[in-house]
Amino acid sequence: MSGHVELETLTAYWLGELPAAEADAVEKHYFACARCAAQLGWLAALSDGVRVAVRAGLGMVVTAPFVEAMKRAGMRLREYRADAGATVQCTLRADEDAVISRVRAPLAGAKRVDMLQRLERDGEAHEIRLEDVPFDPASGEVVFVPPTKVLRNKHRVRVRLVAVEEGGERRLAEYLFDHTPS
Amino acid sequence: MATLPVYARAVPSGSSLAALEDGALAKRVAEARGGPDSAAEAELYRRLAPRVRLYGLRHLRDRQAAADLVQQVLLMTLERLRAGEVREPEQIASFALGACRMTVMEMRRGTKRREELLEKWSPADAGVTQEAPEPVALNPERLAGCLEALPARERTVVAMTFFAEKQADEVGRELGLTGGNVRVIRHRALARLRQCMEAK
Repeated sequence: MSGHVELETLTAYWLGELPAAEADAVEKHYFACARCAAQLGWLAALSDGVRVAVRAGLGMVVTAPFVEAMKRAGMRLREYRADAGATVQCTLRADEDAVISRVRAPLAGAKRVDMLQRLERDGEAHEIRLEDVPFDPASGEVVFVPPTKVLRNKHRVRVRLVAVEEGGERRLAEYLFDHTPS
Repeated sequence: MATLPVYARAVPSGSSLAALEDGALAKRVAEARGGPDSAAEAELYRRLAPRVRLYGLRHLRDRQAAADLVQQVLLMTLERLRAGEVREPEQIASFALGACRMTVMEMRRGTKRREELLEKWSPADAGVTQEAPEPVALNPERLAGCLEALPARERTVVAMTFFAEKQADEVGRELGLTGGNVRVIRHRALARLRQCMEAK
């Protein structure tokens, strides 16, 4: 192996995606190359850091198997399910790590789904748009983890799912999460 | 078992040892006369420990097991160097890698329990007190901010990759994407994270 190993290849090595011969070559290289060893060290640190961030309640849209991985990792989760149009009274106890919100919508046929969140707190509103979020058309669910730091305060979040299509947007469903910290 | 020195201090980066290649450093350890060259051994340990640790994390997925691997492999490497049993000291990185592979294989086969390996290469018996240097941790607040700044799908892929420890094909199956798509998203996300973490 000449030159340095690309981050992409080091990532594939770290995750066990490379064929054995290629993985052997990467190992041989970074054992003799301080720069590539440092690059791999950054990936290892990132790996640890992402685990810490998820445990600390990183806000994100996830999949059902990911929720199972959170449980296996010992995270204490509070789960809510909401059908289209529902208002959910929600909370997060001090001894819980994260809230899982499973919202149902008619997702069949959708190619891209965006999630709009309007956070209302202390008389102020803040809106964000998450583009192209993961969704499961078979179960008709979008699963998201609201950021835990937001859940430490009383607030309301209006969530809207829209299908983004060639001709524009199509509203799929809306939900209201009325949150009170315990 | 020969007594190994206590590596109390890292070699200053400006010293002559810091300028030596790994192989030249290993030769110095191997050719030391009138007692071990503690400074050269400490510098070699400092350089190789992170690489051995990474190998251990990659193959054993366990911090303690990786730390044990560092102790076992590097104590054995230094002892063999001193005893003149490393045929090509200039290829010390290859020697250490070979020792890693052999030791991990033994750990996996269960032919040597961890306790037995530690007993054989006991740092306490050898008089070594230096632990493998801890890897540099990323600033958690900064990383959280950088993760929050990623587009939603990239953030999901990063979390599935590093929290759930899933390969691209498996992430793809869950998200309805090909493994190739996931690798592209992942690569883009890592580049953004790197840039964000390094930004002033």
